[in-house]
Amino acid sequence: MKTANGLAGLPDMAHTRVRDGGLRRWRTELSILFRIQFAIIRDSWVWVVLMATLLPLAMILFMNFFMENPTPETMVRILAGNLIFGVIVMGLNSMGQEISWQKHQGHFTFYASLPISKLNFVIANMLRGLMSTLPSFIILGAIGQYVLGVEIHYSWGLPVVVLLSMSSVVGAGVALGFWSPSHQLTNVLAQSLMMVVSFLSPVMVEMSSLPPFVQWISYLLPTTYAADAMRAMLLGGWNTGVLADCLIMLGFTAASVVLINRLVNWRVKA
Amino acid sequence: MSRTAYEARGISQVYKKGKQRVRANDDISLTVGEGEILGVLGPNGAGKSTLIKQLVGQLKPTEGEVLFFGRDVLQQTRTVAEYVAYFSQEPHVLSVLRAHEALAFTGRLRGMDAREASRQAHELLARFGMADMENKFLKQLSGGQKRLVGIGTALIGNSPVLILDEPTNELDPKNRRLVWQMIQEHNRAGATVILVTHNVLEAEQVVDRVAVINHGRLLAIDSVAKLKRQVDQRLKFMITVEVGRREETETALRPWGIVQEAGENRLRVLVDKRNAGELLDFIIRHTELPIEEYAVTPPSLEDVYFHIDEASAVREAMNA
Repeated sequence: MKTANGLAGLPDMAHTRVRDGGLRRWRTELSILFRIQFAIIRDSWVWVVLMATLLPLAMILFMNFFMENPTPETMVRILAGNLIFGVIVMGLNSMGQEISWQKHQGHFTFYASLPISKLNFVIANMLRGLMSTLPSFIILGAIGQYVLGVEIHYSWGLPVVVLLSMSSVVGAGVALGFWSPSHQLTNVLAQSLMMVVSFLSPVMVEMSSLPPFVQWISYLLPTTYAADAMRAMLLGGWNTGVLADCLIMLGFTAASVVLINRLVNWRVKA
Repeated sequence: MSRTAYEARGISQVYKKGKQRVRANDDISLTVGEGEILGVLGPNGAGKSTLIKQLVGQLKPTEGEVLFFGRDVLQQTRTVAEYVAYFSQEPHVLSVLRAHEALAFTGRLRGMDAREASRQAHELLARFGMADMENKFLKQLSGGQKRLVGIGTALIGNSPVLILDEPTNELDPKNRRLVWQMIQEHNRAGATVILVTHNVLEAEQVVDRVAVINHGRLLAIDSVAKLKRQVDQRLKFMITVEVGRREETETALRPWGIVQEAGENRLRVLVDKRNAGELLDFIIRHTELPIEEYAVTPPSLEDVYFHIDEASAVREAMNA
């Protein structure tokens, strides 16, 4: 018996479906999955922007009041640190909790019942993470520049650094959400991680001011490289150090996609 | 002769709950023929949804295997997803989408082209009487309307196998009738249907065979007619008693047959036809009994279900 997808012994579906070719089907699938994810942002974008902006903005203002005669470099450090803080709030904390909530509400059952690629679902979630993080990045950059009186060095490499900073952190958040053994645990973990990663790694402060043990741990966090690259870009522009940071962030992003793809065991629960 | 769409071979599911091992289902074996409608009946917590999740490959059985057209579902999860449309009881994930989007997007994810998916989405919403709600977000719709869209996501794309977990819950009688009708239409077009339902009376009109499950065990699986034969030597007394006096009436009627609670102040009594006259006489003579109303009817599939469940409980008690 000839069947729609050539599998003998199964019912013929040729009359019910139009079978797109591999790449076309993959593209359609990703686009539809992203549109569903985008609808989540459409539904709550005001809260998304507020959530991702308020905390880092308060931090910028607080640090501005607190510092006495800071150097321009310090100001750029504060701005870069808070831009990454915004990414951590949204990409790690919020995405981790949101995906965990979806998981424990049984939302994956719907996706698991469809003939879709798990990788596409993961990528669509990561794209949503990027889209939720980007507005706060722009708002914070604009306001921070004005409040701190910092002159940002704009260059072609800035969007690359912004994108990789977001994707490496969002990847960690999405992985946390998919891994989540319980929603309560993920909430606690996401919030603790947010504080640890923001304040006990060289995001707001210099690496040299951290204890050696913490410095070692920092090398394992994507935010260390994101903050370093961001500072360098805002101060002077692209250099080999930024390139190295970008490559490491790309590695973190790729590793997170592979890890998430393994974590999303949505079809067969053991 | 129709092929076997599904075959479950001795499947069990054991969960760890603290230090205890809980059996969600226990050694279930059944087959579902291509083009058949199988109803899965059982009380809450009986293990029906566990069975369904095992059939669609979302839950790996602790023991046993499930075959879909002869293939192990756990090895062919993508193929199963291509061929089986599954409507689960989980909250709807697409509530941030508009009604038409929810249906058309699901169709496209099933491999339909954009135009056909959109056409079928319009058609389904029109059938549900929701043509004017196409652009409403699902979260703005009533519980029943959301349910209909959810059922629509299973029906779009005319999948050859439909697995529906409580499809008519939350629906008003008119929409329940519509959903049963649409399920039958899909079946007539060749679809195999497995449905879990509490609504035994409505399912009776639609299903070819019934699987009765309780405490994770398959108590019976057969055609409605054959199952009904198990109780066709009986008559059913539906008795309404004064509020708060159900238990004493239950005790008084127990010698006559299987007595079950059918509501706060209602009892169902399955009586051998030969003894029905005596029971009637007993009720009429014993005016001190707090009986307000009674009706005698032939048993329905629902009664078969209660009969099987009761018989199994008796067997279990005797074995213990």
